[in-house]
Amino acid sequence: MKKILAMALALVMLFSMAACSSNTPTPSNGSNEGQPGNQGSGETVSLRVWGAEEDQALLKDLVEKFKQAYPDQTFDIQIGVESESKAKDDILTDVTAAADVFAFACDQLPDLVAAGALLKLDENMDAALQNYAKKSLDDVKNENSQGSVGSATLDGSLYAFPFSADGYFMFYDPSVISADQAKSWDTLLDAAQSGGKKVGMTLASGWYLAGFYYGAGFTTALNADGTTSMDWNGTSPSGVTGTQVTQAALKIAAHPAFMPVVDGDSSNQLKSGSLCAIISGCWDSQVAAEKWGEGYMACRLPSFMAGDKEVPGGAVASYKLMGVNAHSKNTGWAMLLAEFLSNEESQVARYTARQLPPTNIAAASDPAVAADKGVVGLADQSENAYLQSAGGKYWDPVKSFGEQIAQGTIKSDDASVQAALDDLVAGVTAPLS
Amino acid sequence: MKANTMAPKPVSLERDLTSSGHFFSDLRTAVVKGDAFVKLSLLWWGAGYARRKQFFKAAVMTLLEAAVIWFTVAFAFQYVPKFGTLGTVQAEQIFNMETMKTEWNNYDDSFQILLFSVLSFVVWITAVAVMLKNMVNVYQLQRREELGLHINTFKEDVGTYLNEKFHITLLSLPVLGVVMFNVIPLLILILVAFTNYDQQHMPPTALFTWTGLTNFINLFGGGGLTLTFGYSFARVLVWTLVWAVFATFTTYFGGILLSLFLNNKRTKLPKLWRALFIVTIAVPQFVSLLLVRNFFADNGIFNGMLTSAATALGIIAEGTTLNFPWLTAPGWAHVTIVLINIWIGVPYQMLIATGVLTNLPVDQIESSRIDGANACQTFRYITMPYVLFVTGPALVTDFVKNINNFNVIYLLTQDVYTTTNQALANSQATEVDLLVTWLFRLTQDYYNYKMASVIGIAVFVICAVFTLVAFNFMLSGDKEGVYN
Amino acid sequence: MEKKPINTKQLVKDIFRHVFIVLMVAVWLVPIVWLVATSFSAYNGRDMTNFFPQEWSLIQYQKLFTPDTVANFPAWFMNTFKVACACCVVSTLFTLMVAYATSFCDFKSRKPLMNLAVILNLFPGVLSMIAVYFILKALGLTNTHLGLILVYSAASGLGYLIAKGFFDTVPRALCEAAKLDGASQARTFISVIIPLSKPIIVYTIISSFLVPWMDFVYAKMIMNSGISDMWTVSIGLYNMLDKALINQCH
Repeated sequence: MKKILAMALALVMLFSMAACSSNTPTPSNGSNEGQPGNQGSGETVSLRVWGAEEDQALLKDLVEKFKQAYPDQTFDIQIGVESESKAKDDILTDVTAAADVFAFACDQLPDLVAAGALLKLDENMDAALQNYAKKSLDDVKNENSQGSVGSATLDGSLYAFPFSADGYFMFYDPSVISADQAKSWDTLLDAAQSGGKKVGMTLASGWYLAGFYYGAGFTTALNADGTTSMDWNGTSPSGVTGTQVTQAALKIAAHPAFMPVVDGDSSNQLKSGSLCAIISGCWDSQVAAEKWGEGYMACRLPSFMAGDKEVPGGAVASYKLMGVNAHSKNTGWAMLLAEFLSNEESQVARYTARQLPPTNIAAASDPAVAADKGVVGLADQSENAYLQSAGGKYWDPVKSFGEQIAQGTIKSDDASVQAALDDLVAGVTAPLS
Repeated sequence: MKANTMAPKPVSLERDLTSSGHFFSDLRTAVVKGDAFVKLSLLWWGAGYARRKQFFKAAVMTLLEAAVIWFTVAFAFQYVPKFGTLGTVQAEQIFNMETMKTEWNNYDDSFQILLFSVLSFVVWITAVAVMLKNMVNVYQLQRREELGLHINTFKEDVGTYLNEKFHITLLSLPVLGVVMFNVIPLLILILVAFTNYDQQHMPPTALFTWTGLTNFINLFGGGGLTLTFGYSFARVLVWTLVWAVFATFTTYFGGILLSLFLNNKRTKLPKLWRALFIVTIAVPQFVSLLLVRNFFADNGIFNGMLTSAATALGIIAEGTTLNFPWLTAPGWAHVTIVLINIWIGVPYQMLIATGVLTNLPVDQIESSRIDGANACQTFRYITMPYVLFVTGPALVTDFVKNINNFNVIYLLTQDVYTTTNQALANSQATEVDLLVTWLFRLTQDYYNYKMASVIGIAVFVICAVFTLVAFNFMLSGDKEGVYN
Repeated sequence: MEKKPINTKQLVKDIFRHVFIVLMVAVWLVPIVWLVATSFSAYNGRDMTNFFPQEWSLIQYQKLFTPDTVANFPAWFMNTFKVACACCVVSTLFTLMVAYATSFCDFKSRKPLMNLAVILNLFPGVLSMIAVYFILKALGLTNTHLGLILVYSAASGLGYLIAKGFFDTVPRALCEAAKLDGASQARTFISVIIPLSKPIIVYTIISSFLVPWMDFVYAKMIMNSGISDMWTVSIGLYNMLDKALINQCH
């Protein structure tokens, strides 16, 4: 027995010796340590970029252009694959092992900032930016649309560079639905029914369902301690009650021509051919074109009646942002790379390659870009597009609530709806466990 | 057979002459009755060996002791002093314009402190155990010298490792692997249950610290937390147990029955049939599970097939679609999951059962047949007891494994099942969740490591209770000798 | 001639038996057949209305074997194969070693060790993922295949129960005979017991070989650099399936 222990002890210590030597407060992130004091001329700057799978080829080109833009500095840039909608998960598992520059969807911003994964773009960064890229942070803010900059800002500071608009709106088939019929849910659903088709929308999602409430003036907000505040069970500033909005949603979901879509399944439902309209975003533009021909239309979400008031169809505005890892070994250069990957030329290149709507105002006003159906839809919706701010406890309860609406398990009388809303708000606003 | 010869024999065969067989009384004897060198071994581990001229061993033990001391001074002292507070220095950064890099202060990383402290504790405990055992051994050496018995040369000592002490040679690497990759991570995560490590307190940016039993109180309903956490825990627990029972026994008996069926003398091409069943094992579980998930989806293939079949048979009118919520409605999903698990698990169990049945005592069966027993009786009184004996412990392990069967539930329901129970949703749970899938979701999606650890501990306690009860029930009498 | 009535009864029974088996096999293989059929479909995405594809084509296989920027199936296959081979060697060795030690060797701490193994098995595996990750990181083994091998096989000694059950049924007389012939325990292990244990060795090899192909949770966590050439098949497949079967877009 002693000898098992002895051998085990020896080997365990051997391992910890190895650990001791490789364990320093700033673990290796793939960079060559240089001597401080050089203005970046001698050493190679090592950077890692994470981008979506479809973006890999594009990123390679852009990185080459970046290297040419700063010829005095040698770089070693590695490009990795990371889903933009799941970036937060991988980054938060181990912040120090994440890439130096990564793309993510704006709803992950608060969590990333709280975990210290995003570099705050402050005066130091501004100075560095002006030094090398000859532009200031204010320039960047002015170049991009207000909504996109707002989505990258937290507590007044900018934390990432926006590069693409990613929200949702409505696509419809003009051969079944006319532009007038698309203006309100009632006419839309009736027209769809007479055309023998359905209208699809995801309800079981905190991203889609919130549109109904935001449009009516309700809000959610992320508090400093990570909890969420929500007022959907009361009355909104415009005089609409949450009960009325929910009842309207229940009525829409109960209509025979309405089809609730599982979150993420919109492309498949579109391809099946049973839909004539769908609430979706640019990722489905191509499928819509295939199914409904090039003449397919994009516009804002339809309005609905809450009580006796007409509420415009709201949507959550969403953007894709390029962030810098605060624990990067080369934060300065990483920031320059992030800025480059999101500047006007890069956004134009991205649009050309993947038809992703740019957030850069100049790029978006280019006639070819402006005519893009996705851009049109986003622009139409932008009047009623709201930035979403919610904490961790928001998503699951709202998802379940949306599912209950979709399945019609909430009775539509006032008392039941109010009770359901109260339960929902209680769950969302609960203190963190 | 006690030998009283003076002929040279390796030490361990004569342990009965020099020890009483109990560790602590041996230790006491060693300390009290040991000579100067034995007592010196408390400080210098090699002392006793050097005196008895076992120089190799002395050198080995001295090196070992030096390594432990070096480890303590060079490594453990960096982390263990901070164990009580789990770090106090918050991370701060300044940007250095010249190098274009961010510089960090020498901040504390709570998780690293926890990790390396636990590692240090394990090393120290092992070192103490080695030292104490060393004392006992050295005292035995002294006694042997006094009694005039042979003292092993180094070569003979090494020889015992291939013979009497072979189990030590065999077990050292596996035990090390288990300690490094199973025991230490477990200890760490158990300790996390007593901290506040969650999304608001994530290293390296933030520190977390000890909070005692707060998390346990929160789980079981008190402490001002939403009432639903305790409610969810109860519901998820019930389903976990129900599921484990069904999953284990359906696949176990299914596998045995199928194996018997195929093994039957009158079955043609048993190897072919077995091979076909094994094909389902060859496909990686997550691929087949994701596949099956889509197979049974709302508006999926299975519903489509049922619709076409029913329309063809005239049961339903043309144009209506059958859309059973196989995996999306509470009651349906529970049953479907158990059925799909049978699909996954039976081939595996059949494989094991086939292996077990090869050693079935055929002579017993023959004689029972001659005595007039039919197939059912043979099964009940001969086959089943034998199979239960061989795989009994594995059955209990399987039950416990099913309590923790993450894959099947997660892959079948993760993205398709949405609960309509607001109370469950408020705690991020669903009706089909096992405790482990709930735990995983809390860890992965919400970084709520502390609550996840608490749930993990709760799972352990439940499993431990079951296992103890089951083992006591089964092993009432050590039957290991029966079948040798 | 009196054998005839018994023969037909037996014949009917046999036919039923085989029909039942064929039915069972069919049920078991339906999803696999669907998988294979869909892989030959020219349709991108999930076809929900037809069991067999409307258009047969080899295009999916073409896509699979042509490495593009991300999907690099040949590299994934080789990675996983490497890991699986190493894993199965280590796991089998460890399992057999522990099973032999607990079955044939009688030592004082045998029962306590076995109880400890049972207790360790009672903890859920997914609980300690994050700690394992940081241990590997401290050893510098994240994003390496060696790290993966360690994760899959280092603790495999805990899965010794089935092998031990098998060893328990081996007659002790064999060991006694070997000892009388002067063989040490080591000798007995290598020359007598191992050749006898072929079925259990095969079982252990198969089950440990399959582990790296099936696990994606640990693999995904350890290979987190985003370099898709380092991935194993399970990570790659999970990624692809995630997109193909549930089209996660934005």
